[in-house]
Amino acid sequence: MIKEKTGDEIRRREFLEMVLGASAGLLLTPGKAFLRTAGKRPTDLKVVVLGFDGMDPGLVRQYIDRGSLPNFKKLAASGSFLKLRSSVPPQSPVAWANFITGTNPGGHAIFDFVHRDPKNYLPIFSASESLPSKHNLRLGSLILPLSGGEVKNLRKGRAFWQILEDYDIPATIFKIPSNYPPVETRQRTFSGMGTPDLKGYYGLFNYYTNEYRTITEEYGGGGRVHNIYVIGNRVEARIPGPNNPFKKGNPETYVDFKVFIDPINAVAKIAYQDQEFILKEKEWSGWKQIRFEFLPAQGVSGIFMFYLKEIRPKFKLYVSPININPADPALPVSTPDSYSRELARKFGPFFTKGLPADTAALENGVLDEDEFLAQDEIVYNESLAMLEDELKNFRSGVLFFYFSNTDQRQHMFFRLIDHGHPAYEETLAAEFGQVIEKTYQQMDKALQMVMEKADHDTVIIVLSDHGFTPFRRGFNLNTWLLQNGYHHLESGARPEELTLFSKTDWSRTKAYGVGLNALYLNLKGRESRGIVEQRERETLAREIASKLEKIVDPKTGERVILKAYLSQETYSGAFVNEAPDIILGFNRNYRISWNSPLGNFPGELLEDNAQKWSGDHMSSPDVIPGILLSNRPVRMEDPALEDVTAGLLSLFGIKIPPEVTGKPIF
Amino acid sequence: MGKAKIKIEKELYQKIVKIAGVAGYSSPEEYIVHVLEKEISKFEGADSEEEIKKRLKGLGYIS
Repeated sequence: MIKEKTGDEIRRREFLEMVLGASAGLLLTPGKAFLRTAGKRPTDLKVVVLGFDGMDPGLVRQYIDRGSLPNFKKLAASGSFLKLRSSVPPQSPVAWANFITGTNPGGHAIFDFVHRDPKNYLPIFSASESLPSKHNLRLGSLILPLSGGEVKNLRKGRAFWQILEDYDIPATIFKIPSNYPPVETRQRTFSGMGTPDLKGYYGLFNYYTNEYRTITEEYGGGGRVHNIYVIGNRVEARIPGPNNPFKKGNPETYVDFKVFIDPINAVAKIAYQDQEFILKEKEWSGWKQIRFEFLPAQGVSGIFMFYLKEIRPKFKLYVSPININPADPALPVSTPDSYSRELARKFGPFFTKGLPADTAALENGVLDEDEFLAQDEIVYNESLAMLEDELKNFRSGVLFFYFSNTDQRQHMFFRLIDHGHPAYEETLAAEFGQVIEKTYQQMDKALQMVMEKADHDTVIIVLSDHGFTPFRRGFNLNTWLLQNGYHHLESGARPEELTLFSKTDWSRTKAYGVGLNALYLNLKGRESRGIVEQRERETLAREIASKLEKIVDPKTGERVILKAYLSQETYSGAFVNEAPDIILGFNRNYRISWNSPLGNFPGELLEDNAQKWSGDHMSSPDVIPGILLSNRPVRMEDPALEDVTAGLLSLFGIKIPPEVTGKPIF
Repeated sequence: MGKAKIKIEKELYQKIVKIAGVAGYSSPEEYIVHVLEKEISKFEGADSEEEIKKRLKGLGYIS
């Protein structure tokens, strides 16, 4: 019997279909309704894939030898442990897209975290795009969208779970990166890295304090600092939400909150909407729900945490980025829609934002090392509980499960295992030098959980998308292009003051760098003000690549770029022409600088990186391979990510589709 | 970075001293800098290009 929709259900559905959440162009769209669940073909075969982002084979070997990873050791002994070739470049969205599609970036069109719009040379996020509603009705100061906006996953190529679906083999895919919004499928999938917060940012924390700070939103990069007053032991402030799509000018929504400070004890009461609770100093609130109203009875809900860092002498309150509420998702985060709600029912609120740990808060001293780790432990514990539950219900097909902690903690703590790092501090190293090893041990525990559940029909695959290297020195690509005559500025422009190519003379510019590993030629017919003719494209690309590979850091005597890859030679597939012309493969210890990716021209060609973000993975892929372990012997000496995909399909006897360029590892 | 002096009315200065004390600032100067920075920030980073930068910075890889 078909149940009739209630008024509330109709309103909710219509609302989601009509509205856009306009903060930073963020849109709200419904997921699709799914008529049946996938994978009814009976198969005894079970394949569990654990994805540990950024797990480094050198460190795994070192920790195995030290006896820290008994389950990794056991798995390696029962089958294989190899280095896994990463993508060009070895950035997570690119590498995981290689695994998802079984091919290289030429086939899936994700070439970097950041692409550029050839019409205006501005950087854009590579993985997804928000399109506004095309038709609106204006009523005074209100704007009512008459058609739905859209969030679009920009990754091309079919995902391996879509291919499995063709053969009716069930799959559950938990938080794999490069899958936001999740591609259409009847399989159970939950989006991962690339999923924004409710404001459309990739993580915007709020910090309320009366401490004098020079930190601003601009400097904070990922956070907003609110200067507040403590008057009469009371603080009044507001939490910013998404921009209101219904109002002219899309003003930012907000929710007011009050903090009542105990005059004697280090505790405070926080009150907002219908919530009221007590927090002690240095206490996390746990997940709290919040609702931002657009119109009466129309709004979106999110989840977040408070952390009361300090009450006296200065007041310091951290509010995490507002995550999409999995119990009532305003944006599509799962397939089917109900999977998100099912998880929320079982586990309560949980992190939905991709890259969940707040690295920006640690970078800017808003959270210290202990506080950052406390937050990331919540991420780990949530994931572990969900893995346990998925394993309990896993009967056949594929279960892919992802952990972000390895990547995020290595980014922030590499400085404390690398004595040569500009940000190395002995006292901090004594306290936090074990963080990375302990994190690997936590992954060993997750692996143990899988191994205990595995029977003789279970194939276990453990992989990472890339390894890690210290980030000691940053290279200013655009400064180099400027110094070498490939980039030109308008007369009188002062390079150090520029951003986003604001004073570039495109009529004389032949090349520019946008993104973390990418160099583009200013190509006629592709770029709006392109001057490089098609016939000179290859010669120019070779000339620049050859010069880049010869750059030596005067401070260390090391080469900065080991290999400058020409995309036309490196990639294959339908989207090669969308690729940057050159991909920079950095040497160990090097990376693009902090400012070059967005079209800036700092004075120095190379600079020390003294930041807490101290480990990275923008090297030539052979410098930082990922890991591949399995309880089945891998019959390949030098496997790549896309070969694992082919191997996965082959386990189920599926003929490898022509667009999958990987070769089966088994 | 150097420092510059500005002149303000004594009456206003007295109010600033009073409020800075109540609001928990260590000095009137700290309070003035705070208020000015807050006001200035409203005029900075308002265009869409700045918005692009801010959004991408949340990834962690860009400053």
